Amino acid sequence: MEFFLPIAHMDVNIVLILFYGAVVGFLSGLVGVGGGFLITPLLIFTGIPPIVAVSSGSAQMAGTAAGASFLHWRHGNIDFKMGFILLIGSWLGGVFGVYLAKVLLRAGQFGNVVVFLYVVLLGFIGVSMLIESLQAVFRPGTPATPEAHAPAASGSLLRTWIARLPWQTSYPVSGVRMSALGPLLLGAAVGVMTSLMGVGGGFIMVPVMIYVLKMPTKVVVGTSLFQLLFTTAAVSVMQAGINHSVDPFLALILIFGSVLGTKLGARLGARLPAEKLRLILALVVVAVAAKMVVTLLIPPAHIHSMSVEVR
Amino acid sequence: MMRWLCCLLLFAGLMLQTPSWAEEPLVVVPDTGEVKITTDFAGTEVKAVGSMRGPADLVIKLVGPQQAAILSRETKLGPFWVEGETMKMEGAPSLLFLYATAPIASILPPAEQQKYGLILEGVPVRVAPQLKARAADDWRKAFFRLKERQGYYHEDDTAIRVFGNRLFIADMQLPGDLQTGTYTVETLVVKSGKVVGRNVAQFSVRLSGIERWVWNAAHDHSWLFGGLFTLLAMLLGLALNAIPYSRTR
Repeated sequence: MEFFLPIAHMDVNIVLILFYGAVVGFLSGLVGVGGGFLITPLLIFTGIPPIVAVSSGSAQMAGTAAGASFLHWRHGNIDFKMGFILLIGSWLGGVFGVYLAKVLLRAGQFGNVVVFLYVVLLGFIGVSMLIESLQAVFRPGTPATPEAHAPAASGSLLRTWIARLPWQTSYPVSGVRMSALGPLLLGAAVGVMTSLMGVGGGFIMVPVMIYVLKMPTKVVVGTSLFQLLFTTAAVSVMQAGINHSVDPFLALILIFGSVLGTKLGARLGARLPAEKLRLILALVVVAVAAKMVVTLLIPPAHIHSMSVEVR
Repeated sequence: MMRWLCCLLLFAGLMLQTPSWAEEPLVVVPDTGEVKITTDFAGTEVKAVGSMRGPADLVIKLVGPQQAAILSRETKLGPFWVEGETMKMEGAPSLLFLYATAPIASILPPAEQQKYGLILEGVPVRVAPQLKARAADDWRKAFFRLKERQGYYHEDDTAIRVFGNRLFIADMQLPGDLQTGTYTVETLVVKSGKVVGRNVAQFSVRLSGIERWVWNAAHDHSWLFGGLFTLLAMLLGLALNAIPYSRTR
């Protein structure tokens, strides 16, 4: 069943795009990541121009995050105080990221920097989470304390540093107390990534909130989605305004697919223990990082590649 | 059905019209003046119907509107393959199909092929930024290789059917990601290694219906379009999740 996309200017198979949406929605409902790191490569692989894939993916994530945020809000899983501070940080970081992207583009290094950022960040976070989750799942007797392993040890260093910062305040929904600068800086770092990598940043935000800020996993998922909703919405509007690259039909098909996936994910997420949720996220992150490393190492079948300009 | 009916009518009209050698030995008409891209568009077939005074060979050249392309080359950085140089290729048609009744190289000498632009890799294409001749040639070769591999440039000596050395139909299969604009159908009659008749016809490809409306809105009122659509996407995501939720309560 083919459908012509006016902005991507090509026909796509609706069933395939619905399936992509469902996969991303499932992850979104299950572990609170927007799935930008997954949907963008999938769409590009289908032949959709990269800028249209990134932009329409943002619009889809805004739609999916709106629905998923609503469900989490009804379950009391959103820490609004934390969410707003993260949001301010991510918008500030986003503006800085846009300028950084401009500098890198001028130097002709934008594409390569993005790929290496993906590999290093996904690889480090994924492997750290995988080790911790495997320990928690397969050795439930031993407490999965942060001091027991390397990633959390680095987390504890960061926590100590955050504890010394000014503007200490408490976050009752999360049951933690820390400086407002902690989530502000985290949000800013995620904002930079959103501008550079075209992702919502959930895959970075979620582990940091769990391991460094020590927030309960379910509140992390809800709060991450809340922040994601407004970050991706802002990116979607800017991409449409500046680059004319949001394809409404593509985004709508993805949203319909993702709604189904989100429900399944949220339902399964409510039944699964937190450490298994973390294990699933870790496996997805490691798989994507591994795929990117393999792509970088294997000589390409064709040394040249071509794309047409989106008008 | 309608398309075949049109073809039959065209055929009948052409039968009555007897081309004279002295004036115009060739009449060619595409079976449509306009290809409309609608929501279910996944490529289409345009037929060029014509008459000639045979026996002769035919070459039909279908040329799409110009389209700039970005070409990039992977290079090795340590153990990694990363994106290296990037060039903009300008001035070449988005699509170039050559149809003939026999392989073009066997019916026309290279000079005639060159004169009428019948060599796929002979299309003039500018490389930006400007490079030395040899380096630019490498990029051009890569460009043509990719165009042929992706099916936008090709030669086909089976698509023209000739009836009684006089009437002919060419089936031109157009892809789904067709560039909008004017397409030119140039038909050449070839005898004894020389072009003895020439006809040029055109048809246009344009977005139609909701596809056109969306494209115009996204380009003419981009900020308003972006804001409203993002809001719609958020409301849709919310509604699709909220309605079933309220039912289950």
